[in-house]
Amino acid sequence: MPDYVHPDVLVSTEWVAGHLSDPNVRIVESDEDRALYTQGHVPGAVEIDWAVDLQCPVERDYIDRAAFEKLCAERGISNDTTVVFYGDKNNWWACYAFWVFKLYGHKDCRIMNGGRKRWELDGRAWSNERVSYPHASYAAQEQDGSIRALRDEVLKHCKAGKQLLDVRSPEEYRGERMHMPDYPNEGAVRGGHVPGALNVPWPMNCNDDGTFKSAKELEKLYIKELKMKRRSPTIAYCRIGERSSLTWFVLTYLLGFGNVKNYDGSWLEWGNCVRVPIAKGAEPGGAKAAPAAAHA
Amino acid sequence: MNSVQDRLDAIVGEFADLDGREKLELLVDFANGLPPLSQEYEARKAAEDRRVHECQTPVFLWTEVEDGRAKLTAEVAPEAPTVKGFVAILAEAVNGRPIGDVATLSDDFLDRMGLIDILGMMRARGLRAIVARVKRGFAQCAAAGS
Repeated sequence: MPDYVHPDVLVSTEWVAGHLSDPNVRIVESDEDRALYTQGHVPGAVEIDWAVDLQCPVERDYIDRAAFEKLCAERGISNDTTVVFYGDKNNWWACYAFWVFKLYGHKDCRIMNGGRKRWELDGRAWSNERVSYPHASYAAQEQDGSIRALRDEVLKHCKAGKQLLDVRSPEEYRGERMHMPDYPNEGAVRGGHVPGALNVPWPMNCNDDGTFKSAKELEKLYIKELKMKRRSPTIAYCRIGERSSLTWFVLTYLLGFGNVKNYDGSWLEWGNCVRVPIAKGAEPGGAKAAPAAAHA
Repeated sequence: MNSVQDRLDAIVGEFADLDGREKLELLVDFANGLPPLSQEYEARKAAEDRRVHECQTPVFLWTEVEDGRAKLTAEVAPEAPTVKGFVAILAEAVNGRPIGDVATLSDDFLDRMGLIDILGMMRARGLRAIVARVKRGFAQCAAAGS
């Protein structure tokens, strides 16, 4: 992989095909549509579903540490397993699952570049066999707050005029619609964006075959054009935190940003909060915009 | 002929006792059973606005009446087997029934099939939107015919 800052977190479909029977490697599929895994998955891959497996059924939060340990143990994942995630939709949910694994401190996580689409384009075989592995033992760490932003922190971040990225579609960003084109409205009562947030729709990170864009292209976009700084604390959000976990992955591992958090509450929370600032329209607005306006 | 509700009850019965994985497998079977569009509908797909815009993946639906009976024709992108299987279930339940009967279709069968447990609330909401769309489509047919 060319010039990514942490190229080791990306593996090719060829690498995965060569490690299907490697006992130190567990392949994990995470999809928007669960039935895809049922229909056919990478041979030996287990499934982790974002909604059913990773989310707490009671509180609006992730599963707790004990449940995460159980989830891993049941899939034969131990602390030193290399876990390779892949899925549909350019690896959205794969990046989301990757992020949750990092939240609980899993050391060796990787993404199969291109996900299901690249595997299919490469003409590799699918399997619909049921997969099970002997139970492993797993000890998770406490949640790593350095990669997750909660609402109050986003509010402070916004007021301080720090780097914020909104990765939704331009229509959602401008506040013209409250959900993705063609997706159901999942319940935000206000539209717009967090003041100060730049809009970089997530597909700008990916090629048509589902793989990530080159380091050069990504640098051009984030560093040269948007003037984002690698060292500055950055928060990314979308609607429910899945698209922004892909951007979090790109900034953290492919471009080497030092401090990026995913705001998983995202617009579904912000657009429902009482008395939080919202900007409408194509301009970021926010703390940095105010002095500029005063000069004008 | 059985009512829409009877047909749905029969399908619910097929799902009810299965474990999560088996439910998904049955859903995939239904998805595989949804026939491809005929040439006539392929041509109409290009000419008419039949895309379900509320839906996450390309879904095209026609709710029509033939001799007073409901006729649901659909195409769902292959990358969305859950939606495809669900639409196939709806087609099996309503096709050939008097259109007035479709109004009795209740979306609680999602819960009774145990699909919410294996799909989660957000996905279930998308499927409910499809039920609403189908009912609305046939209600419009009924209103136009009366």
